[in-house]
Amino acid sequence: MNLTISRLSKQYRRDFWGLHDFDLELKPGVIGLLGPNGAGKSTLMRMLATITQPSAGTIYWNGVDIVKSPNTLRAVLGYLPQDFGIYPNLTALEFLEYMAAIKGMDGKTARRRIDELLVVVNLGHAAKRPLGGYSGGMKQRVGIAQALLNDPQLLIVDEPTVGLDPEERVRFRNLLSDLSGERIILLSTHIVSDVEATATEIVIINKGQKRQHAAPEKLLAQLDGQVWQWVIPSEDLPALKASHLVSGTIRRENGIQVRVVSEAAPAPDAERVTPSLEDVYLREVSRNGASR
Amino acid sequence: MKTLRVIYHLARADFLERVRRYSFLIMLGLVVWLGYLSASGQMRMRVPPDYTGVINSAWVGATMTVTVSLLLGWVGFYIVKGSVSRDYETGVGQIMATTPLSRPLYMLGKWLSNFAVLGIAVVIMLVEGILMNLLLGTHDLDLLALAAPLVVIALPSVALVASFAVLFESIGWLRGGLGNVIYFFAFMFALVFSGEVGSIGTPGKIANPYIDFTGWQIIGDSVSRAARAVYPDTAGGFTFSISDLATPNTFLWNGIAWTLDIFLSRGFFLLFALGIVMLSALFFDRFNPSRLSVRRKKTESDSPAPATVPEPIASPSIHLTPLPATRPVFRFDALYIAELKLLLKGQRWWWYVVAAGLVIAQLSNAPDVTRILLVVAWLWPILLLSGLGSRESRYNTREMVFSAPRPVLTQLPAAWLAAFSLMTLTGSGALVKFLMMGDAHSLLAWLIGALFVPSLALTFGVLTGSSKTFEIIYVLWMYLILNKIPAIDFIGMTPNSPWQLYLGLSLVLLAVSAVSRQIQMKNR
Repeated sequence: MNLTISRLSKQYRRDFWGLHDFDLELKPGVIGLLGPNGAGKSTLMRMLATITQPSAGTIYWNGVDIVKSPNTLRAVLGYLPQDFGIYPNLTALEFLEYMAAIKGMDGKTARRRIDELLVVVNLGHAAKRPLGGYSGGMKQRVGIAQALLNDPQLLIVDEPTVGLDPEERVRFRNLLSDLSGERIILLSTHIVSDVEATATEIVIINKGQKRQHAAPEKLLAQLDGQVWQWVIPSEDLPALKASHLVSGTIRRENGIQVRVVSEAAPAPDAERVTPSLEDVYLREVSRNGASR
Repeated sequence: MKTLRVIYHLARADFLERVRRYSFLIMLGLVVWLGYLSASGQMRMRVPPDYTGVINSAWVGATMTVTVSLLLGWVGFYIVKGSVSRDYETGVGQIMATTPLSRPLYMLGKWLSNFAVLGIAVVIMLVEGILMNLLLGTHDLDLLALAAPLVVIALPSVALVASFAVLFESIGWLRGGLGNVIYFFAFMFALVFSGEVGSIGTPGKIANPYIDFTGWQIIGDSVSRAARAVYPDTAGGFTFSISDLATPNTFLWNGIAWTLDIFLSRGFFLLFALGIVMLSALFFDRFNPSRLSVRRKKTESDSPAPATVPEPIASPSIHLTPLPATRPVFRFDALYIAELKLLLKGQRWWWYVVAAGLVIAQLSNAPDVTRILLVVAWLWPILLLSGLGSRESRYNTREMVFSAPRPVLTQLPAAWLAAFSLMTLTGSGALVKFLMMGDAHSLLAWLIGALFVPSLALTFGVLTGSSKTFEIIYVLWMYLILNKIPAIDFIGMTPNSPWQLYLGLSLVLLAVSAVSRQIQMKNR
């Protein structure tokens, strides 16, 4: 099972590329897609989900060109868009039955799967209530459930934890871990901790181009010995931000504890600390500029 | 001063949002075309049977005014209606609700925006009249005679339409498709009630300018008087249509003799429009979700507000059983049933009672009455049919539906078939009646009608991504069928109706919707 993307591009206007010459080879596992707003994450995901046609480049699913034959992938695809709606008059059960029918599932299998999914996304109690009365987090969980209906081999989830409370977020992370195995899961998010908890590989994307693609350990190793922490007076913070990449601040009794990414020690009393994925992400984004 | 600034910016933002939409360009195109028909004499006012005015500035101005007040009185409502709904849908309304903006000010801003959009149509007509005069020399330009009816008569008419659009949007149950249908019949009723149809220009008939909201009586009486002065044998009257007169008898008409009463009556309609706007403010819920939920509780007793329902403790199970590796064969019947459920879901019990009543009535009446009842029965599910093809856009489920296998070959036909089934059910009384009578002609016409309507709905839904276009056109279409216009009669109400043609048209429409959906999916 593999997904091969080569020289994939999407041009929105003459002078604006949503994605440009993007190469990626994916094998089973959870692939975390990180990038700032407007980096091209959703554009990439929509092309992989066969929603958007690329301007150039190819996408191969197990050797089949899905730009030319999208239905090959659609049969085994689960997709949760970043922004989606529901039919307010249907109940969660009916909506999932509808989506299962659209995906071509037979009634018996669909019903069994839906029952299981409703429990997994913690909506069993509300399954027979119209979706129009659902909260944002509940709607998001319906979206997650529909993406998992056909036990997809390629699961694409775009900002899946938006609107979920902390408990549900943890639950979703655990679900992703449980699902990982013989399938490719592409998880796009701004929330680095979601990726940290589940991803077997991480792709950092910015300005429509791939900046990094490696296992989390390898990315962390790149910053080994380059993350520092110490306490500074509050008034020194603006100057420090101007001269260094500050990846975190915590207010303390004696000032502000800062976390800085730097090859050399930024201050005499700075101590080396273990790097986090957030440090890696911020370093990568700051190298190329945060937004377009 | 501050209040004026608020109204100005509210109207300006709304106006800019609308004029930058594709639909505004369509409206401009329509207005330019109608203006051309009016100024070139192809759309003409007439005193029956064949008396018509010499084309001059006054005649063109009046023809344009009649065109504007009829077409913008009807279509204009649908063009401008939707700005308050947009604030609900986009969530902008919730933000506005947290500001000191009052309900009357908000409504006034929306009305001004509506008025500006329709006012542009009037201005375009005026400019077109001037340009056609200068470029083509169709007549000697008398700017006052050309502009006066447009300004004095047409502008208050569109102001009134703009205010009704605001009123309908302020009342929850009139905001959607039901409001669109009700407005059509209300407009037709108002035309008849105000004496706009049939009796204008008839000698002895005293016009009341204070109910003449389109201004047709003012123009028609004046035109008719001028015709009678030249051709004393004419019986008077006034009509307006696109028609060629083989040998028209022309007369010179130099325009309306403006009186204080006319100005006062048009001012009255402007004030009346403002009154409607203020009335709207009383109904408007100011985006208050609690008022929304009160309504929802009344209509959807099984959908309590989410905040009041505590979530149970989550089951610790997060394991999903893998599905068998062999993928099942696609089952169209399952999708068809799902589409049928989606189509009918949310209807209240009384909807079914009325539909059943209409079926029984079709069965138990004379054939001619049955045909009329069939039109009504097929009009009854209009708000369900209008969701065909546009539901995915309206509820933003496109990405989920379009990423399923072969949606054009599966979901689209299933949705159409569900609608066809609905047509069959609502028209089943007539079907049984025609079967019992052994009336093959009526049976075939029935079948073609049941095929044509879902095809029309699907095509408009796919092409526009909205339910509005179908709702407007379908209501008008069925109204004209009831009035026995043969050319558009796909039900076979009239002996000369070319209902057979609608079989081919249905197939063409289905092909158009499939190709359009495919193109939409490719171009995303």
